[in-house]
Amino acid sequence: MLNTLSQAFALITTWEVIVAMFAASVYGLVIGSLPGLSATMATALLVPVTFYLSPIAAIATIVAASTMAIFAGDIPGALLRIPGTPASAAYADEAYAMTRKGEAELALGAGVWFSAVGGIAGTLSLMILAPPLAEIALSFSTFEYFWLAFLGLMCATLVARSSPVKAIASMFIGLLVACIGIENPGGVPRFTFGITNLFGGIEPIPALVGVFAVAQVMRAMLTPEPPPIPKRKFGSIMAGQWRLTKKYNWQMTRGNIIGIIIGVLPGAGADMAAWVSYAMSKRFSKEPEKFGTGHVEGLVEAGASNNASIASGWVPSLLFGIPGDTIAAIAIGVLYMKGLNPGPTLFTEKASSMYAIYLMFIIANIIMIPLGIVMIRLASHVLRAPRSTVMPVIMLCCAVGSFAIGNNMFGVVTVATFGIIGYVMEENGYPVAAMVLGIVMGTMIEQSFVTSLIKSDGSVLPFFERPIAAILAAMAIGALIWPVLVWVWRKLRREPAAATASR
Amino acid sequence: MRLPDRVTGLFLVGLGAAAAYGGWQLPPVPGQPVGPNVFPLVIGTGLALCGLAIALGIGRSFEEEEHLIPVEGGQPEPPTSKLYGLRALLPPALLLLYVAIAERLGFILTAAMIVYVTSTALGARWKVALPLALLAPIGIHLIFSKLLRVPLPPGVLPMPW
Repeated sequence: MLNTLSQAFALITTWEVIVAMFAASVYGLVIGSLPGLSATMATALLVPVTFYLSPIAAIATIVAASTMAIFAGDIPGALLRIPGTPASAAYADEAYAMTRKGEAELALGAGVWFSAVGGIAGTLSLMILAPPLAEIALSFSTFEYFWLAFLGLMCATLVARSSPVKAIASMFIGLLVACIGIENPGGVPRFTFGITNLFGGIEPIPALVGVFAVAQVMRAMLTPEPPPIPKRKFGSIMAGQWRLTKKYNWQMTRGNIIGIIIGVLPGAGADMAAWVSYAMSKRFSKEPEKFGTGHVEGLVEAGASNNASIASGWVPSLLFGIPGDTIAAIAIGVLYMKGLNPGPTLFTEKASSMYAIYLMFIIANIIMIPLGIVMIRLASHVLRAPRSTVMPVIMLCCAVGSFAIGNNMFGVVTVATFGIIGYVMEENGYPVAAMVLGIVMGTMIEQSFVTSLIKSDGSVLPFFERPIAAILAAMAIGALIWPVLVWVWRKLRREPAAATASR
Repeated sequence: MRLPDRVTGLFLVGLGAAAAYGGWQLPPVPGQPVGPNVFPLVIGTGLALCGLAIALGIGRSFEEEEHLIPVEGGQPEPPTSKLYGLRALLPPALLLLYVAIAERLGFILTAAMIVYVTSTALGARWKVALPLALLAPIGIHLIFSKLLRVPLPPGVLPMPW
């Protein structure tokens, strides 16, 4: 163990990793703090750059950029009432109310401090949870993998803040996209319409960039520019954070735990963690009436929660190749590209790389404190950059980045197409994250499904016979019929009420 | 681009049916009970069923209206003419234009054009858009071509490095 740890240290203390991590941190802070550019977009645009880095440096950039971007979303949320990333939306109102009360330093300080604490708690959960789960996962057959992937997809649809039917439809669209190409059980061209470029299938990364970056530029074309941030001087940012930590110790812990649980669930993610934690904080607070008036309690809990979910989201990604959220989905792509194929054996065969990932998460969360303070002080300059100068550069990065993935212009066509698809879907209430998970997991779910069917000679019974498979199946089917039950229950409850009203 | 649920739902029914039919047409693997046709068949059927449910308005009660945060002082209302909505198509159109002409014209010129048009469309005046269109492509070219060795098309205006 000590030997592996020292190997891991050696892996991350190269100049390449250090420089990559620092640059990615600054990049993540800037993108995360610009309203309208999400942490997922920041990570997706980073992928082409990771091609040219060593495996550890590539993962370091993803870890650093996503960690920083989730925190940086708090900055415009507090100063402008416009959350920089969706993960900060839950408490943007509260943080802005604090700024108006003259407590901007306290709100932003709480953002950076509790984000760092949450991130480290999430990393600890990754370190503690992953190895024993890997032990169990080693005994998994294709039946268990099928149900696990299915459960992952269902979780993604359950937590979407839209109609579950639309979320499931989005997921199916993603799976359908994953069907394209010749990588299927028969090795025949499927849904390629004779287009040679489609033989290799649709790459998840250009699809992601299209859905998250191009669609955002499209939206910017129609929405008015947010107002510029007022110039201001900040006092001490970390003052009073220790007092808050002691006062809200339990809230912080609860935020960490909820963040970890939501992160581990496939498909949920930082956004959901923040919303749930903020709601929990209000629900169990001793002074719920203060919420919404510039009260720091919810900020502590939700800020800790969204960063905790980032690290714990890597648990299912590393173990099963099932992403915890969209950022982890990108990370999986990078892991595959770099020969670190996700799976339980990663923990035995590439243990030092695993430890290197843990260490990078911890370092990223520690350097977030000084870098975050600098970013908060510079925020009034960075946030004054008008959208009309940021978006064109994003567009160029989309074009060049998607070309770089395969040195092929078809990547650019994919990005443009998925930009339109993502824009139309989002406008009509279809959650794009569910589609993205479908694209990422499609091949895996089909393989495990078809292999299992071949093994069972076409019978579905073996899908339920092994004990773990049966448990996973029950959970997955429960997730599938849950919305139906809720719907029936609501109908039944409403109907007697309507009957009494009409009487 | 906001369409009624009935329209998007029926579109998904069509898409799902087409996928299921397309999957069904695929040749099976000899001697094997399941082949490349099963998965599209399952997904297509599922998608068509979801589309039907959406068209019938099932599950709409779960939808939460997006919580828009009003900004103090109010925001200028965007114009609501029909043509205004088409502006959203500008970014993908520019990307397709890039595919069409970048090989011949070269990266720098194409990129400069994309930056200028996007920037102006987002409300920048030429005093901002023009220097940006000059500098951004060169910067991106430096990073991607020089540092990361992505082969960007030189076209009529190759960069000296």
